[in-house]
Amino acid sequence: MAAVTIDSLLQNPTLLFRPKAKVLLKPPRSLDCSRNRKLPLSRGSCLCSFNPRRTIHVVRASSSETALIGNFDISSSDDILYKDIFPVKRIEKVEGKFFIRLDRSKDQHDWQLTVGCSLPGKWILHWGVSYLGDSGSEWDQPPKGMRPPGSIPIKDYAIETPLKKLSEGDIFHEVKIDFNPISEIAAIHFVLKDEETGAWYQHRGMDFKVPLVDYLEDDGNIVGAKRGFGVWSGAVTGQYRIMSQVAYFQVIYRIPSEPTLGDVGALQQFSNVLLKSEASHADSQNNSIESKDSKNKNRCLEGFYEEQSIVKEVSVGNLVSVAVRKSPETGKVIVCLETDIPGDVVVHWGVCRDDAKIWEIPAAPYPPETTVFKNKALRTLLQPKATGNRSGALFTLDEEHFGFLFVLKLDDNTWLKFKEDDFYVPLLGTSSVPGQYGQSDSTSEEISSKSYTDGIINEIRNLVSGLSSEKTQKTKKKEVQESILQEIEQLAAEAYSIFRSSITTVPEEVVSETETTKPAVKISSGTGTGFEILCQGFNWESHKSRRWYMELKEKASEISSLGFTVIWLPPPTESVSPEGYMPKDLYNLNSRYGTIDELKELVKSLHEVGMKVLGDVVLNHRCAHFKNQNGVWNIFGGRLNWDDRAVVADDPHFQGRGNKSSGDNFHAAPNIDHSQEFVRKDLKEWLGWLREEIGYDGWRLDFVRGFWGGYVKDYLEASGPYFAVGEYWDSLSYTYGEMDHNQDSHRQRIVDWINATNGTAGAFDVTTKGILHSALERCEYWRLSDQKGKPPGVVGWWPSRAVTFIENHDTGSTQGHWRFPGGKEMQGYAYILTHPGTPAVFYDHIFSHHRSEIASLISVRNRNGIHCRSLVKIVKAERDVYAAIIDEKVAMKIGPGYYEPPSGSQIWSLALEGRDYKEGCRPSLIILFASAIVVPFFTQKYIGVID
Amino acid sequence: MLSRLFGCFILQLNRIRLFAGLPLDVVSGGSVNQFRAISAGLKALKLLGLEGVELPIWWGVVEHESMGKYNWSGYLTIAEMVRKAGLKLNVTLCFHTSSQPKIPLPEWVLDIGKTKSNIFFKDRAGKPYRGCLSLAVDELAVLNGKTPMEVYQDFCESFKSTFSAFIGSTITVGITMGLGPDGELRYPSHRGFAKSDTVPGAGEFQCYDKNMLHLLKQHAEACGKPKWGLGGPHNAPAYSELPTANTFFKDHGGSWESPYGDFFLSWYSSQLIAHGDRLLSLASSVFSDSAVNIFGKVPLMHSWHGTRSHPSELTAGFYNTATRKGYEEVAEMFARNSCKIILPGMDQSDKYQLKESLSSPESLLAEIGTACNKYGVRISGQNSTVGAPDGLKQIKKNMLSENLNDSFIFQRIGAQFFAPEHFPLFVEFVRKLNQPELHSGNLPTKEGNTTAIDSVHTRSNLSIHMQSA
Repeated sequence: MAAVTIDSLLQNPTLLFRPKAKVLLKPPRSLDCSRNRKLPLSRGSCLCSFNPRRTIHVVRASSSETALIGNFDISSSDDILYKDIFPVKRIEKVEGKFFIRLDRSKDQHDWQLTVGCSLPGKWILHWGVSYLGDSGSEWDQPPKGMRPPGSIPIKDYAIETPLKKLSEGDIFHEVKIDFNPISEIAAIHFVLKDEETGAWYQHRGMDFKVPLVDYLEDDGNIVGAKRGFGVWSGAVTGQYRIMSQVAYFQVIYRIPSEPTLGDVGALQQFSNVLLKSEASHADSQNNSIESKDSKNKNRCLEGFYEEQSIVKEVSVGNLVSVAVRKSPETGKVIVCLETDIPGDVVVHWGVCRDDAKIWEIPAAPYPPETTVFKNKALRTLLQPKATGNRSGALFTLDEEHFGFLFVLKLDDNTWLKFKEDDFYVPLLGTSSVPGQYGQSDSTSEEISSKSYTDGIINEIRNLVSGLSSEKTQKTKKKEVQESILQEIEQLAAEAYSIFRSSITTVPEEVVSETETTKPAVKISSGTGTGFEILCQGFNWESHKSRRWYMELKEKASEISSLGFTVIWLPPPTESVSPEGYMPKDLYNLNSRYGTIDELKELVKSLHEVGMKVLGDVVLNHRCAHFKNQNGVWNIFGGRLNWDDRAVVADDPHFQGRGNKSSGDNFHAAPNIDHSQEFVRKDLKEWLGWLREEIGYDGWRLDFVRGFWGGYVKDYLEASGPYFAVGEYWDSLSYTYGEMDHNQDSHRQRIVDWINATNGTAGAFDVTTKGILHSALERCEYWRLSDQKGKPPGVVGWWPSRAVTFIENHDTGSTQGHWRFPGGKEMQGYAYILTHPGTPAVFYDHIFSHHRSEIASLISVRNRNGIHCRSLVKIVKAERDVYAAIIDEKVAMKIGPGYYEPPSGSQIWSLALEGRDYKEGCRPSLIILFASAIVVPFFTQKYIGVID
Repeated sequence: MLSRLFGCFILQLNRIRLFAGLPLDVVSGGSVNQFRAISAGLKALKLLGLEGVELPIWWGVVEHESMGKYNWSGYLTIAEMVRKAGLKLNVTLCFHTSSQPKIPLPEWVLDIGKTKSNIFFKDRAGKPYRGCLSLAVDELAVLNGKTPMEVYQDFCESFKSTFSAFIGSTITVGITMGLGPDGELRYPSHRGFAKSDTVPGAGEFQCYDKNMLHLLKQHAEACGKPKWGLGGPHNAPAYSELPTANTFFKDHGGSWESPYGDFFLSWYSSQLIAHGDRLLSLASSVFSDSAVNIFGKVPLMHSWHGTRSHPSELTAGFYNTATRKGYEEVAEMFARNSCKIILPGMDQSDKYQLKESLSSPESLLAEIGTACNKYGVRISGQNSTVGAPDGLKQIKKNMLSENLNDSFIFQRIGAQFFAPEHFPLFVEFVRKLNQPELHSGNLPTKEGNTTAIDSVHTRSNLSIHMQSA
């Protein structure tokens, strides 16, 4: 048996996060992928589903569908009481071919590797090379000359080149790579990726390898198997099937809405896709396509051509159209049902009397080819239509029926349903308002969107009722539900901010505004209450005293009184490095910061002063206790005595036997393989223990770039934190040393990660920090508005999950890897402490001369109830000034330029001003808050300042 | 089929359709206020699975300037928005005023009232209540030659023709007919705001406007007791006085139990029921050919329910005491007009009432519920305008009981409703509605922490300050 696996990573690069999902949706793109099937088709065995969205727009999308509609129109549109098109989805196995060819190019000088695939799809060759003398399995970037046009470099080790059809008529998508055999290239490695499904086609868990030279040491092995094409030889064909139903299922649900926040995570969760190979291979040793000739150890390449059959399960879009009309002669209701699903389609149907939708069998007559099924339903075989590949049936029913219910049966195992429910066509009520349905396009569209939402609502109801019998279904539904809930949350936040801003101020409220309100409502681990202000409670030197916990304990009430609600403590575990970021025994909490008992004491005092405590947990890597037989440190000790299966396989330094890393590697220590069940189980237990034993309320997650966010979701769900934030730190985009204005790709990566966690965690807004650097340092305040007039960092896209900061123990402190521009700190804090997002303040800044100003800013934030979802309106983003109004309550400006808030109905009072003496007399920052009460003293002072 | 099995179950659980009230001042002049917020709010409610929204339509907004001149435009916009959002609309026709936000009666009515203060209810001191017209003028031509009933009828007819495109489709759920102060079938026996931390008084009888006194006199003469027709009970306490401040409501031997008491209370309550009957039959006939239900709202006068005389109910016009089932007449009147009843105060529970007020919202609700069930009147619930601790919990309890069998209208959308302190609780409430305890118990508890909404903990002291209805 040769096993072929498809790696996870359903990262869909086309997916852009949009902060506000619309309720009306785009046409499902999966409709494209099924047309023109020239290849043999066989029906998928079990999974079909219905796309909840129905719009007439979809119908217009292709000619065949227009024909469907046209059919109904013949019977005079006035008669039609109801008309609807249900796009349905089936999984179909599409079989195709996949070939690899190595031959000489025309000039007989260079060689050419061609990879082609006949399946429809958006195929990408993800490839790299290895050079002579390389050891290990790492790839390198091929030389520039070798890269076909359209290639995109991926990190520093791979190239992605799309497969193209050479001409319209071609069956194969192809890519050709030319190379010179005299180069130092030892082999070409590749995997095939389908961008549409995100599936990776690999070769038995490894990449495909085309060696261009033979290795001496291989010679002995190859004798007798002269042409080592075991995998590819002759008649033996492996069948690659993507078992991606689960992931596919999620895709379906995603289609209705524009990408919403939670569902990408859902997608990825199921992306540990298995790929099985059904065929057995004679030579199971081969994991590379090796063209070997033992006699010729120099580069005497021989051409070859190999073909494989490949099966992909694609979702196929079909349509079921239903029209209801009333027969003028008999007064009966006629339901006309048609579909373009190929083959025999049986409608399993009934009628109902009321909203309960209980199936009943109506009185005869029935259409031809109808049988009664267990006295509960009728089964009618759809009759092929004269035109096109469609089939349909007419059902004549008495007028009193309330609705027509049906499901479609394609074969014994394949049913098409309305999500988990029956298709439903209303009959009653239609007659009382004839002509209402389908009268105009706009009407139909609204009805469509309505039924879409109804579908979703039913979904929620089913869910909430906890009625789903199968657990997997439950999980899937839960994902859908959560994304809907997130959308609801966003809409509510929007409504709230507008309603609130228009509340007329009554004296009582003015009084309450002066009080600091701390809502005690817990909202989610991604946001806390939404009103959190974070304190980073240590710096790079904190370990030196060896009694940091005790020192911090002294300051607990002071920090709390400044207005902080959450404090982030240093990593608590035993660590190879004193700062704690090289953890070793996770259960040993005696560190350079103090003992476990001191830690508990500290947490207790922090709780006493009303703060929540975040533990800094390093989940990406762990230092080993012992060496393996090769002398490599990859065997762990302590309570979690994992072996090298817990270490990722793709970092050659640590010789892990786990799977490939699901993220970037941190090279200084063995990276933990989170795909291992036992690892996850142990880590969850550990987090639970930390919550229980120490009393941590939440987490700051170190180096989350190193592993997939879906695992983080898993950990957070298991440990139920009050608040969690991840450190996803990578480089911003620069061109010729100058930072690009548009940092969308940078923030997209962070948002993608948050998405992968399903919004269960926030992330540090590195983008905002970077942009603030350039804006403040170079006096380029225009950078603080993106193309859409929103904040340019993560906070502009997903404010509730952005943890804004200007400095931390790595960027600043004594390390200073990426220090915030000196002297501009208060402008930075003026920005993050007035804006949405959850602001984090660095310890060094709190205990410095900035302290009182930071305290004032926090107090303005609290007094005005600014929270992580507050609305920000950017009023000015020019060279020397940035000004914004937040929640229509707080006006702020930074930069030497001039700004005055609109005087209009609001009276502004000065909360804080800061001065940058180098820039003359104009204040470098001004924070104002709207006040309904005239406070002459402040107002005068403010006017004086502006002048 | 699986869905068949589910069908019944879901039906049973979903029998209560859930609505949320739109802000009282959603329309002013001819335009929609906070259009964007309403629009986002509607989407959120739809996604949440609500059946629809309740829209208060004010006499003072639509027929503001002069008699017969209607401006429906803002409300039409709302109806269209609601339809587009895929929600249903339950309309309340408000022939009364709102104090917060301030929505008065039509200007021309107030002008008439300036010279003829007897179109308003009056208390013993002769102080008029300008929140609605006195029921005694229902059939007197006091409004530029028309009777209020005629004016109400014209209003309803105009509404019907203007909204004909919506009635039967978007407005299928119902039209609520305003019946008195705050839309409720009652006398304005309590004036001003009830404060939650003070014991409410007994309230005052409102039979002192000229026309009421006239009716009382006639009635007394017809009964052969002309002396009883000269005014209201002389020994009844004033608004904020405790029932014990005078002898009318005395638990034992109070005047309420005397023949005079019975004479007066019978008359006083029958006037109210007759008024309700007039308005509901008007609405029923106007909308008889439309597929809509007509609703009327009955107040939950729960303070002093623990006494034998139920003073708050008596002054409000419900002759319901320890010895007399007064709500049966009310229910019978609703049944006669095939109308459904709206009961507010579904969020009130006994344990949060001030002990001194001998209040019992739960038992009063059960009492009214029993009367309604006897006459087959369907009950729709609302929460009280003042809010209540653990209100959502109590609402849920009522929704699962017999006290509520039609729909529930949550009052009301606005800043408070969508606030981070409240909205997640509401979402939780909606989600839990269909989830009997039995099921929630079966779910692993850790799942409960996964979403924003799941992890909300109900605060025991939460108090919802809703705008007044």
